[in-house]
Amino acid sequence: MILDVSHKTFYAYSAPVVQSQHLVHLTPRDTARQTVKHHSLIVEPAPASRYDGFDTFGNAMAVLDIELPHRELVLHARSTIETIPPPEIDVTKTTAWDALDEPLMPAGRGVDIDVVQFRCISRSTTPSLGIADYGAVSFPKGRPVIEGAMDLTLRIFREFKFDATATDVSTPVQEVFEHRRGVCQDFAHFQLACLRALRIPARYVSGYIMTKPPPGQPRLQGADASHAWVSVWSPETGWFDVDPTNGIAVADEHVTVATGRDYDDVSPISGLLLGGGDHIVDVGVDVVPV
Amino acid sequence: MTIAATSSSASGPDLLEAYRAAGASGYDELLGSDGQPRRHWAAFIRELALLSAAERDARSTHLDRRVRETGIAYDIFADPTQSGQQWTLDLAPIIFSAAEWRWVEAALIQRAQLYDAILNDLYGEQQLLKDGHIPPELIFSDSAYLNSCRGILPQSGGLRFYAADLARGVDGQWRIIDNHTETIAGSGFALANRVVHTHVAGDLFNAVNAARLAPYFQGIQSALTAHSGRHNARIALLTPGAHHADYFSHSYIARYLGYLLVEGGDLRTRGAQVFLKTLEGLKNVDLIVRCVDGSACDPLELDPAGFEGPSGLVRSCRESPGLVVNAIGSALVQNRGLGPYLPNLARHLLGADLALWDAPRWWLGDPAARQHALDNFDHVVIRKAQEGTGRVGRTALGRDTRTMTASQRDVLKREIHLHGSRLVAEEKIGFSKAPVFQNGVLTPQPFAVRLYVAKTEEGYVAMPGGVAMTVDPDRAVALTAPDSHTRDVWVLTDKEQDKNVSLWRPAIETARIQRSQRVTQSRVADDLFWLGRYTERADWTMRLLRSTLKRTAEDSGPHSGLTAARKCLEVLLTDEDTPSEEKQRLAALPLDALCAQVIGGRTALRTIERTMQSLYRVAHLARDRMSLEAFQTLSRFRPGDPWSNALAAARPGGVLDLLDDGLASIAAFSGLMHENMTRNFGWSILDMGRRLERAYNLSEAMLAMFVPMPEGEEEQGSLRLLLELADSFITYRSRYWLDPIFALVFDLLLLDESNPRSLSYQLAAFSRQLDTLPDGKQGVSLTEDRRLTLALLTSVRLTDVEKLSGPEGEAMLENLLQEQIQSLPELSDALARHYFNLTDDSFHRLHTRREAAP
Repeated sequence: MILDVSHKTFYAYSAPVVQSQHLVHLTPRDTARQTVKHHSLIVEPAPASRYDGFDTFGNAMAVLDIELPHRELVLHARSTIETIPPPEIDVTKTTAWDALDEPLMPAGRGVDIDVVQFRCISRSTTPSLGIADYGAVSFPKGRPVIEGAMDLTLRIFREFKFDATATDVSTPVQEVFEHRRGVCQDFAHFQLACLRALRIPARYVSGYIMTKPPPGQPRLQGADASHAWVSVWSPETGWFDVDPTNGIAVADEHVTVATGRDYDDVSPISGLLLGGGDHIVDVGVDVVPV
Repeated sequence: MTIAATSSSASGPDLLEAYRAAGASGYDELLGSDGQPRRHWAAFIRELALLSAAERDARSTHLDRRVRETGIAYDIFADPTQSGQQWTLDLAPIIFSAAEWRWVEAALIQRAQLYDAILNDLYGEQQLLKDGHIPPELIFSDSAYLNSCRGILPQSGGLRFYAADLARGVDGQWRIIDNHTETIAGSGFALANRVVHTHVAGDLFNAVNAARLAPYFQGIQSALTAHSGRHNARIALLTPGAHHADYFSHSYIARYLGYLLVEGGDLRTRGAQVFLKTLEGLKNVDLIVRCVDGSACDPLELDPAGFEGPSGLVRSCRESPGLVVNAIGSALVQNRGLGPYLPNLARHLLGADLALWDAPRWWLGDPAARQHALDNFDHVVIRKAQEGTGRVGRTALGRDTRTMTASQRDVLKREIHLHGSRLVAEEKIGFSKAPVFQNGVLTPQPFAVRLYVAKTEEGYVAMPGGVAMTVDPDRAVALTAPDSHTRDVWVLTDKEQDKNVSLWRPAIETARIQRSQRVTQSRVADDLFWLGRYTERADWTMRLLRSTLKRTAEDSGPHSGLTAARKCLEVLLTDEDTPSEEKQRLAALPLDALCAQVIGGRTALRTIERTMQSLYRVAHLARDRMSLEAFQTLSRFRPGDPWSNALAAARPGGVLDLLDDGLASIAAFSGLMHENMTRNFGWSILDMGRRLERAYNLSEAMLAMFVPMPEGEEEQGSLRLLLELADSFITYRSRYWLDPIFALVFDLLLLDESNPRSLSYQLAAFSRQLDTLPDGKQGVSLTEDRRLTLALLTSVRLTDVEKLSGPEGEAMLENLLQEQIQSLPELSDALARHYFNLTDDSFHRLHTRREAAP
């Protein structure tokens, strides 16, 4: 499927911003599931300096430094991406979750550190003993890792309630666990904490999902959303994406922008301002099949 | 009785007798197995024995007093009533022989080289992880591993500062018990201890021929200048601020090396460059000596809650990798879990055996090590693998399994399974003992020591000194010294020491001619302004109290001016928000009680106690701008100092002497500042603070005493008191040879711009200093601060003193003084907005999050 993505973020400030610096991850990357055909990022007012590069996870990133006093800021990222569903797999044929040391750190051969680093907990994905117990239910001894991950994905989907008012950007994963509420970012962090408690390699994925309007109604402009989910590794599948917010394995309606250990690594726009007073933010995302 | 008393001195055997009697077990630094002093201790013991017992006690007391005066380990935000963390310095040092030091130094240098090589790999190719030399989960689980900094550190020139905590086990072997690769790790404490010790007991130090510290710091200084690439580099030491436990060390080192002491909020980045906010605008910074945690250095790319460095610093480093030393991320290799892997890494990376090993330690992310620790659960202490570097002596004790309940042990075991990659298990190795001098005798006490290494142009060198501290061997496995009892570290040398090397007086080749080029940071300007205000306020308040108490003591009748004094005291305790009941309460108090309120009343803002605390606090913050002597003159105002305690407790009669001492200290402080401070913007600001405060106090006192006009003899008393408070009695007398007359006194104290105590002098001086500051116009009009100054000065200058004595005089005087009292605080605020406020204006975060509904 070919998808056009428009991601427009508009900030309005009550007082002039004297200087602002932004770190952005808005440029989709190529993965096994997708190819980026076209991408552009427009920033208004234009930054005095802009650094474009890649982080160590291979994500495109940009650092923007805006020195012109401004009351409004617009970042508009547009991309065209071709997605393909992942190959059909038999999840019961994947390696057992407790037998991953051998493929990852084989004696006498090189360690696959690009995968191993995602076994480790990060600031936002630190499990408590309670979280570890919750996650362990999906992983009895010897269970194939992707089968267990799918089970965990469905449990979170069923037992956690989507509630945009329950959490904010810095809510700890323990609180999400205790209240069983949150948004996609919280569910992704929670699932990562469960998986990493068992040293299962898993990473945070930031991107978009195409939404379907209710039957018989037209698609609303800007109604789609930026999204987050989880990617789990097995030797048979490589990185395999699951979406706990929707309780599904990812097919071709998800567009990956960036992958990292948690939200902090790949936050779409993170900014620091001098001045500005209060701000209003308006985000519009459209994911449209071509 | 006398055993082996070969020493010629009478007190020699006594000293050692007590020491032997205390019964050292394990390894003893001072005594060999034959019970005789080891050779490298002999000179010290001999010299110490030559001193009389009284002299030894006096030196010991003097050391602690000097430590207090220097302000070592004074926590500005600590509760002054808690004395538990008091830093003390022992008369007896830890002594290394020249031969042993050569070995220790070589071992520490090897360790620094090893860490340098490991860091270069971990922030570069990570081949050590791919090849299995270091378990990858040890690194990736460590929050000190800063992914965003990959690629930067290898370009930065590598590890520049390293410190190690060492202990000699009961078996006589030195081992490293902790490593510090993040910052300078409190080396300022080592330097300050040495300065204090040689001040009090320099003869002992010289007699043993120990190495001096100055060449080490000189090496750092020239290496950093070379590293910055500029002869005239602007080098800043980045500190978390006065709340940090190591702030003393930061400010001490900054002053010693001649660097700017800055906080994250003082800096701005723009692309590859970092700027410092100063009174003159943004100034380029060439090099940052980092004393803040790496993860807190840049809220944009590192910990989003870390504002101890400027936003965008990582990006600046990416384009200019040498900008920050140690490079951001360097804390990674101090991870305790690395210990077991170091011998192999030394062979692999350096082609050599590891000279000095870490204490026995197991990284609990490794299954076999974890099993070992669980099997020997009663004999291990569980600690964080990455602790970070706090104050010397405040290393966490770790969790001792023997002191836990069964359920606590079970929880800990589960935690070890879940978070083993962030934990280590350690065994206690014991500590060797060395003498401390306490209660007149030498006693063996266990200790650990922090030693320092820096990269200079000749490669790594070790500081021939350090900080040793007394530890509790039953509980500690690291440098944990709850009572902060420290010892200096002396390294004997075969070389003749140059007695005159000190960076306080830099050698001519390193000195640069710079006239008033040192910039004044906006934050420091704020502190200096308040330093000026509090100094003046302290002087005024103590002077008023002294004049009052003298009058009550002398009981000199209606001329006394006691009513006037009372009015002045009352205005000091009230302001426009004071409720009328409180005013009535104060008016009903006997004079003694009123004086006690002025000393330490709970509610008022301008009591002596509060003023002194504030004065000491801002002096502490601005101490890198003043001489040590100047700072020490204020030491009696430190909360908890005997002077402050005595003042709070004293009866009015006893207060007079204390006030004389206090006023003498203030005078000494002002004199030293006046004599020693360069006439730059900092000086202007300090002086403006003083002028503004004095103008305010004078206006307030005049208004209180002369509106309404006192009648008859009370007028005489009021005029005398005013002259006394303004310290102008002698000037008046030498000019007029008359009893005080209203018009003449007011001419002298209001209008005479040649009298440094007059109101117009304060305003004119303020105005002159203001004119030296940059940026006086806003477009075509005057800035707010200049407009207010001009208005105040003009009203005073236009006052006709003849008319003040006339029928409209009282109303005129009231208007004039009310205007001053209203406008001076506005002027203070306007000045702050114009010049200091940049610091209040800090970056804040902007977030977006994803909220896709299912």
